[in-house]
Amino acid sequence: MTPALEIRSLRHVFGPTGVLHDLDLDVPAGSITAILGPSGCGKTTLLRLMAGFDRPTGGTIRLTGQLVTGNGHWVSPEKRNIGYVAQEGSLFPHLTVRRNLEFGLSRAERRDPRRVAELIAQVSLEPDHLKRFPHQLSGGQQQRVALARTLARRPAVVLLDEPFTALDTGLRATTREAVAAALRRVGMTTVLVTHDQGEALSFADQIAVMIGGRIAQIGQATEVYEAPVDLETARLIGDTVELAGTVSGDGRHAQTAVGPVVLRSDTPPGPATILLRPEQLKVRTGPGAWRVHSVEYFGHDYLMDVFSTRAGLSLKARAAGTVEYAPGQSADVVAAGLGTAFPLASSRS
Amino acid sequence: MAYAAGLAIGLVGLLPILFVAEATVSVGWTQIGSFLLRDRIGQLLTNTAALVVTCVMGCVVLGLAAAWLVERTDLPGRRIWAAVLVAPLAVPAFVNSYAWSSQWPRFEGLPAATVITVLSYYPFVYLPVAGALRGLNGSLEECALTLGRNRLRCFFDVVIPQLRVPLLGGALLVGLHILAEFGALQMIGYETFTTAILVQYQSTFNGTAATMLSGVLLLCCLLLLSGEVAVRGRARYSPIGSGASRPAAPARLGLGRWPAVSAVALLLVLAVGVPVVGIARWWSHGSGLSPELGAALLNTLRLSAMGALATVVAALPVAWLAVRRRGPLSTAIERCAYLTSSLPGVVVALALVTASVRLLPAAYQTSALVLAGYVILFLPRALVCLRSVFGQIGPELDEVARTLGASSVKRFSRLTFPLIAPGLTAGVAFVFLAASTELTATLLLAPTGTVTLATQFWSHSDSLDYAAAAPYAATMIVLAAPLTYLLLHQSRVVRGR
Amino acid sequence: MPSRWLLAALAALLALSACSTPGSAAEDPEALVVYNAQHESLTGLWAERFTRDTGVKVVLRNGRDFELANQIRAEGAASPADVFLTENSPAMSLVEQGGQFATVNADTLAQVPKRYSTSTGKWVGIAARSTAFVYNTARLSADELPASMMDLADPSWQGGWGASAGGADYQAIISAMLELEGEKATSEWLAGMKANFRNYQGNNAVLQAVNNGEIDGGIIYHYYWYRDQAKTKENSNNTRLHFFGNKDPGAFVSVSGGGVLASAKRPEQAQQFLKFVTGPVGQQVLAESSEFEYSVGSKVPSNPALKPLTELKSPLVDPSQLNGPKVIELMTRAGII
Repeated sequence: MTPALEIRSLRHVFGPTGVLHDLDLDVPAGSITAILGPSGCGKTTLLRLMAGFDRPTGGTIRLTGQLVTGNGHWVSPEKRNIGYVAQEGSLFPHLTVRRNLEFGLSRAERRDPRRVAELIAQVSLEPDHLKRFPHQLSGGQQQRVALARTLARRPAVVLLDEPFTALDTGLRATTREAVAAALRRVGMTTVLVTHDQGEALSFADQIAVMIGGRIAQIGQATEVYEAPVDLETARLIGDTVELAGTVSGDGRHAQTAVGPVVLRSDTPPGPATILLRPEQLKVRTGPGAWRVHSVEYFGHDYLMDVFSTRAGLSLKARAAGTVEYAPGQSADVVAAGLGTAFPLASSRS
Repeated sequence: MAYAAGLAIGLVGLLPILFVAEATVSVGWTQIGSFLLRDRIGQLLTNTAALVVTCVMGCVVLGLAAAWLVERTDLPGRRIWAAVLVAPLAVPAFVNSYAWSSQWPRFEGLPAATVITVLSYYPFVYLPVAGALRGLNGSLEECALTLGRNRLRCFFDVVIPQLRVPLLGGALLVGLHILAEFGALQMIGYETFTTAILVQYQSTFNGTAATMLSGVLLLCCLLLLSGEVAVRGRARYSPIGSGASRPAAPARLGLGRWPAVSAVALLLVLAVGVPVVGIARWWSHGSGLSPELGAALLNTLRLSAMGALATVVAALPVAWLAVRRRGPLSTAIERCAYLTSSLPGVVVALALVTASVRLLPAAYQTSALVLAGYVILFLPRALVCLRSVFGQIGPELDEVARTLGASSVKRFSRLTFPLIAPGLTAGVAFVFLAASTELTATLLLAPTGTVTLATQFWSHSDSLDYAAAAPYAATMIVLAAPLTYLLLHQSRVVRGR
Repeated sequence: MPSRWLLAALAALLALSACSTPGSAAEDPEALVVYNAQHESLTGLWAERFTRDTGVKVVLRNGRDFELANQIRAEGAASPADVFLTENSPAMSLVEQGGQFATVNADTLAQVPKRYSTSTGKWVGIAARSTAFVYNTARLSADELPASMMDLADPSWQGGWGASAGGADYQAIISAMLELEGEKATSEWLAGMKANFRNYQGNNAVLQAVNNGEIDGGIIYHYYWYRDQAKTKENSNNTRLHFFGNKDPGAFVSVSGGGVLASAKRPEQAQQFLKFVTGPVGQQVLAESSEFEYSVGSKVPSNPALKPLTELKSPLVDPSQLNGPKVIELMTRAGII
């Protein structure tokens, strides 16, 4: 099936600096893709090029099979049938919520009162919000209205530029849920740009990790989290535990400071960096070579630093909130689950 | 495309400066030197500088005090005071001067000049400062109080620095007005560069003395402008936030309440009461309304209306460039507009006369030339209003509208225009106000037989026929009053409730 | 909605702009364009009577002597002016030097005595005014009055007299002094003037100041005093006029001139207008009015309230020799303007 969005060899420069380098990306129809990357990696630029606000230096973009950018051809944003929600404040301040929603509708649709009622319900807002002005809504409500406004035109793709970053933490989660629900309900192809890994992991079907103007890895959330393609990508996705280790002869085990680790895939024997996630370190209080150094209690879990004088190492570990941990306790730490090994000769970090 | 329009306007604005520069250059350095290093120039410089200093100080103190009393204390009746304090904008400075000098002819020199100009110009400081005080975040002051500062220190350490931009902007406007002021000062015989320039121009038209004095005046304006930029630093005219800041609790005046009210009332009596009573007295001496009043009124309305429209339209590309395409070129164009408008009307008028006679004779002595003069003189007023609204409309809104399928026409009519409407209205009102009382440029540029309220007022009061001048003065004030109210209202809308 | 109000207001403004100016030259292309530096009240009387008698409409552009003269110079051949009227003659000389006047019709020139017109026939005298010293009767007695205008530069007169130095009237008087006494004496006198005099904006202001006792006396033209005396006397009831006589520079009689522009679009009507102004009807209008300037043409006697011209013993000065720009230069150098 034709991907809703198809990008090939996209290149873009700002003055002397290159921002995007030969970027390829496929976004399947009906899916939610998150583009995750640190600030300055070019993700907002990518989004703006998709929307048609800027023209790239080279490369092609196809929307539902039609060429919209590239090979001397360029379609203006008005004609692209693409939706766009900015980080904040993209509602028209002089119009009520109703008029904002109606802005993109045809005359016939505007006359139909059910259309607007439908839109407002889609994003889980009340009908009496319709007569309010944007400045009378909370940030989260504003973003929902912005989304409803773009959905009104039934675009082929919706682009979200860090839509939850500007919201208070309390609002963030509920807004995210409402937005995700609305998008899934209509089966809308969505591209979300964010630097927040938690957001990317929970929101999207597919994650594209972007570093330095290139897509480093693309795949399902679990895949990208558990089997990152390199250490830099791994660090972007979540907290890491990086251990110096030696891969055994059979390529399926490695010896590390926390003992033996089972590897995910065959790796050439020899010295390597072994990657684990903090929740994979099992900390058992009691006699052991390790000591709990500091503890952050979140209620649902603990994030702690464990320290080994023998190995001279300090590692992050995560544990469920059901057991009590306190600084100063001695403990034993072992690895669980599968780890990924990056041989030293070829590891990029 | 906006660049082309902006450049064209900038170049037209440059005309007066080029005119003065060309004439000065053709004079030669030795002559310039011997002309400038004379007692008379020293005296003019002292007079001008002294008045600028006293008037700016007076306006800053009065404007700040009035704004603080109205916006940040529990002054009784402050909503009414807030509106009435702007009223002096409706009374042209030369009418003020007429009222004072006709009733007390012995009141002259620096004290008279200071009193009259401060009473006429303090609203230039009061308006922006009041607006800024309204939007200040109270939590900053509350923090300062917890850090051990008492209320007075808090005011100076926390509030005043935040008022830097509006105070400086207002002070600059006052200073530039003083430099260009003619009528008010001529009437009380206070000699400054501008009055001297006018005397020279009346005698010699293009004479070297006149243009050299204009050159000095230009330098003074440049000095003021660069001073303001230097002190203001990088601070920008702040856009309206998303409404999160909390206004501070009003200070309680307690026993100081009634003295404060009396002080504000006294200010208004002096600034508005004196001219109104003066005009009424003289009108009762005179012969009532004459048919020329009607013709003058119609001409004033016509020229001011066209001038206001033309100026606002001309300001659109310049303001857009200044906000959206910030860069050396757009800043240069803007600065040019400020510099030129600070020249006295007569210099601008003469440059236009010379240019049209040499280059475009068909335009000479037509209303078009008068309008060109108004545009050059009043562009900054329109710019100030437009800039603040443009600053509030980010490019994202336009981009989002594009994704919603809106063509550029639709975007302009349904998005841009409604959003800049308050700024446009304020700009039109502000320029209309200025154009309807403009004197010297209109005298020179208007087609033969065209008289305005200001020119008729002037010709009567100049021959000391105060009674005949009174109806014209009254009409100007009546015309200006609703505009002043509109301006006040729009400035509130622009600053966000 | 605010933008709807704005649109309505803009539409109203546009409609307003479309109205044409009442009374402008553009409205009536057949009207005679007069650049008028004489008092609007006087020229208005002439224009009204002329239109009544001939049917030719007249449109006035009012201004001051040098302002309008210099404007005509700058406009050159493109000037819309047909006729130029002034209060004093230096401004006429300025335009004449630019070669912009047409020769006045011989029969018009014949109506005015030669001393009141230029010998080249390029302009003609239409009215005259005498320099006078107005003084406050309480502060100065008859024997304390200056014998000559030149006395006013003496240190004894410091702070005692005033004039309207920025005006063309006074500059004309100084130009006569320049012509009679020479540059050196005039420069010295101007230096003394700078030390002694007080400046005022206009002759009326000088009169008022003398009346108030602010200054003991002032140099003005005679008719300002007479006008005030004919009205309410509030600016002159404490004053008297003193004529210097003796062919003193202070007795200078300044001629108001009228000329036809060479580039006039309506030369015949222009000549007709000048003939009218200097003719018996025009001069009678002047003499009967409350303007109190001296009439010079067609042997019409001046207003009976005035001291007759022949008794003034004014110095003989060729109006075309008066050098306006030079006077400005000298006054600028002396620091007066």
